[in-house]
Order: sequence, then C-alpha cells, then structure tokens
Amino acid sequence: MDDIPLIQRVIAIIWPSFITGGIATVLFTVAFDPAEIFIDYDISRLGIYTICFFLFWILGAITATATVYFLKPGETINR
Amino acid sequence: MVENTSKVKRNANDAKTNAEAERSISAKSKKIYPREVHGLFAALRTAGVASLLGFFYIVPWLQWDGRQALLFDLPERKFYIFNMVFWPQDFIYLTLLLIIAALGLFFITALAGRVWCGYACPQTVWTETFLWIERKIEGSRAQQMKLDKAPNSFRKIRIKFSKHFLWITFSIFTGVTFVGYFSPLRELAINFLTFEIAPSETFWIFFYALATYGNAGWLREQVCLYMCPYARFQSVMFDQDTMTVAFDETRGLPKGPRKKTVDKSDAGLGDCIDCTICVQVCPTGIDIRDGLQYQCIGCAACIDACDDVMDKMGYDRGLIRYTTEKILLGGHTEIMRPRMVVFGLVLLATIAGAFYSIVTRIPVGIDVIRDRNSLYRETNEGLIENVYIIKLLNMDKQDHTYTLTAEGIPDLILKMDVTDISVKSGEVVELPVRVQVDAYNLKQRSNEISFTLNTVGFEKLTATEEARFLGPAFR
Repeated sequence: MDDIPLIQRVIAIIWPSFITGGIATVLFTVAFDPAEIFIDYDISRLGIYTICFFLFWILGAITATATVYFLKPGETINR
Repeated sequence: MVENTSKVKRNANDAKTNAEAERSISAKSKKIYPREVHGLFAALRTAGVASLLGFFYIVPWLQWDGRQALLFDLPERKFYIFNMVFWPQDFIYLTLLLIIAALGLFFITALAGRVWCGYACPQTVWTETFLWIERKIEGSRAQQMKLDKAPNSFRKIRIKFSKHFLWITFSIFTGVTFVGYFSPLRELAINFLTFEIAPSETFWIFFYALATYGNAGWLREQVCLYMCPYARFQSVMFDQDTMTVAFDETRGLPKGPRKKTVDKSDAGLGDCIDCTICVQVCPTGIDIRDGLQYQCIGCAACIDACDDVMDKMGYDRGLIRYTTEKILLGGHTEIMRPRMVVFGLVLLATIAGAFYSIVTRIPVGIDVIRDRNSLYRETNEGLIENVYIIKLLNMDKQDHTYTLTAEGIPDLILKMDVTDISVKSGEVVELPVRVQVDAYNLKQRSNEISFTLNTVGFEKLTATEEARFLGPAFR
C-alpha cells in the first residue's frame, strides 16, 4: 500500500468520481428537467447542472475515499 | 501487474535518491524532461496537434443559419450540430456515438497499437503544446535541467514566471473556448473581456483552465500512468500481429558504446550503442529496450531519435521501429485476421445503424405526465376522469399544427381546452388534457391507454406515447 505513490492514491479518489459524477449528471438531467425540480429557486439551469455535478462528484469521492481507506492490508492495522 | 509493482518500487527508490523529486507534485516520481526530437513521426505528431487544436479553437466561431454551428446548449437542452438539432429525447444518439468511438478505438488499437495516445489524445495534444512553450522559454532539455538545479536568481524567477504566465494565459483561452461549446462563444468572449460573465460560466472557464494547466503543465505522463483506463487494458486489445513501437533485440543486443570506426562484429556488439537518447526523448520516461510496457504511449519519438543515431553511425535505420511481435520473432503479420474482420464489421454495422436512425428520425416528440395530485375523479356525469399534462416537442425546422387522439379503452373521451395545437419550430408546448371513460368499461384498476400525435399535412410525422389510466378498484 505504501508503495503506491501519493499522487496515484489522490487520483484514484478524485478522478473516477469525477467521471461518474459527470455520467450521473448527464443521466439525471436527461431524465429530469432540473428547472422543474428547482422551480421555486431563482437559479439558472447551468447553475443547477453545476451544483448537481459537484454533489455527484463529492458523493463519488466519498465512496472512493472509503475504498482507498479500506484497501489497507489488514496486517498493517493497529501495529 | 508484476511489472507495475516493480516499476513503482523503482520509482520509489529513485525518489529516495533524488531530492528534486520531493519538490515535484508527484513526490515519488522524477520530473521528466523529454528531449526535443525531429523526424517523420515528430512531424506527424505536430500535424496532428496543429490540426486538432486548430479544429478545437476555430469550430466554435463558425456560424450556421444565424446561430453557432456547433453548440451544446445545456440551458436550452438542445444540441446544435450544423443543420441538425438534438434534444434530450435523442440521448440514444449520444450513446451510439460513444459506442462507435469505443469500437473505433478498439479497431485502430488492434491494428496499429496506441496511435490514439501518440497523436490524437487531448492529453498528448495539450502536453505537446505546453512542452513547446516550455522549450521556447527555458531552452533545450539540458538547459531546463540546469535551470531547475540552479539556485533561485532573478533570471530563474523571470524565466519561470514567463513560462507560467504563458501557460496560464493559454489555459484560460482554452477554458473560454471550451465553455464556448456550451454557451454562444461570440457573446461569451465579449462578456469575458468586459468582465460581465455569469457566475457558473466563470467557474467552468477557470475550472477547465485549471485542468488544462494542471494536466498539461504538471501532471503530464502521470495522467497516462494513473488516470487513463485505456493504457491499462492495452494487452486485451493487442495481439501478436499488432503494430507497436519495438526495439529489435536480435539486431540491437549486446548493446554498448563504441567508436564509429570500430567494426561491431569484431567488438562482439549489436547495433545499439547505448546512447540512451531513446530514453531521453521518451515523454513517459521509459526505456523502450525493456520491451512492451503499459507506459508506452506509442508516440514513436524513440524511433525518430534512434533513426538519427543509426544514420550517424552508418547503420541501417529501424533498430527501434513500428513492427509486430510476430515479425520480430521471424514470422509475418496478417492484417485481415479474424479479430480485425469482426471489429471492422461491428464498427461498420454500428455506424450504418446510427446513420440510418438519424436520417429517418421523426422530428416530433410527445411526453405524457400524469397529474400527480389525484389518481382519478368522478365527473358530474358519473364518468371516471384522469388528468394528464402532454408535452409536445416540435423538433422540426418548420412550424406545425398537430392533432391529438387517445385510445385504449372503449368510448374514451379526450377533452382539452384548446382546439388548435400549433407548435413553433424548436418549441415545447405543455397541454393539460382530461380523459373520461365510463367506469363500466374499465376492466381493472390500472389501464393502458395511448396518446397519438399526428401532424396536419404530414402523415409520416407521428408519435405515440403510452400512459396509465387509473380507476376505482373492483371486487
């Protein structure tokens, strides 16, 4: 685990979640028109897309962080 | 995998002995200074970079019918591609396009290795541009290395500042162009220069600029090593007949330096003079003489470099060359092999299918949304009534008048407040309608009905959408 460069671990968290965040945003906004969901708020569609994308990205990054965290080999924990 | 770990360990060991690496963003891998290279493949790559960047920066300025020719209008939820307009309902075409792109990539990879990486990948294209700027400012590979080792001085800071200033300016220009694909570029450029840009657009311009600056200026080969999924499954796509950049071991080994006047067979040496120029020019910092590696982006810089050296030594060119594993083992390579035929046929079929479905696309759409507030209600006449919102999309380039019908339950009555349904070109109209039936005709609680839209004067322009009609529960 410690052999994996830091940059590779950082990328493993922010990069796949970026991709899935983008895909999730596209799928979500194709299925639902965000302007209808956020009809009560004064915000442009592009703004909603941006917020959607970041929410999905953060969600993916949390998952990826947990994955990277749990990848640590068991025998190296609490030593 | 074994190769990966040993490479990683080698990187880690390098890092311990190299203080410079500690300052680099990657912490564990050394900064790579690719040496400038000239030759056939370098010229091809320059041509690729110039045409792709030219395409990227010029296309959003093109106009068509008084609008931007290529515009992915996210706020309006419409994609304009020259004379065509795509809607969210046309999502299938985007999927088809991605499948075609993936199949095309598999096909070309099985045939000619990672030519995509070496000549057309945005990462390569922008990195090449950034390297070019870097060379113009900092000088050759040796000068760059010397500058980085030198202590801070006014000169060093001035040079570094100039480089980053140019990089950042170019990145912001790239960011504006990128957002220009989603928001009309002519207005965007003016708004940008007058600081009157919308917050989300500003954000994406700088986000994309940051990504360009980071990926092409700093991360470079690490994008290929750690971020690119394609590199990691190259062995799935390669076979022994795939063209790859390879070092001819039988000809090159044993390697060793020698004077030009020395006869190599007398000295017991192969053609490789171990000058390491192939390593110095490599943008991912590998030694091609170690064989096929996932880090190799197939850019062929080492081929150009080695051919140069071979010329100088008076040896034949092609010690490092595009070749296949079979040829290196003394066999011959078949281009029309089953894998290529299957990939080719599937690719052609998908392209033909996509083309056919786009050409025969019916430019009218209907969407039915049930009123969520009530399941059903009983009218004064004792009929069961459901309420729907019908969304009509006129995706055609001209205005149309439509007629709406519904069927699925005997004696069904369709009621709406408007009689004339006219929709302008490219518009969406929402139409509240009520459907009434006699409870006697309802067989179950949830019944299937369908709405059909016909275009007045255009028989073929028709669309149908299914919906549920809810009634009281029986039994």
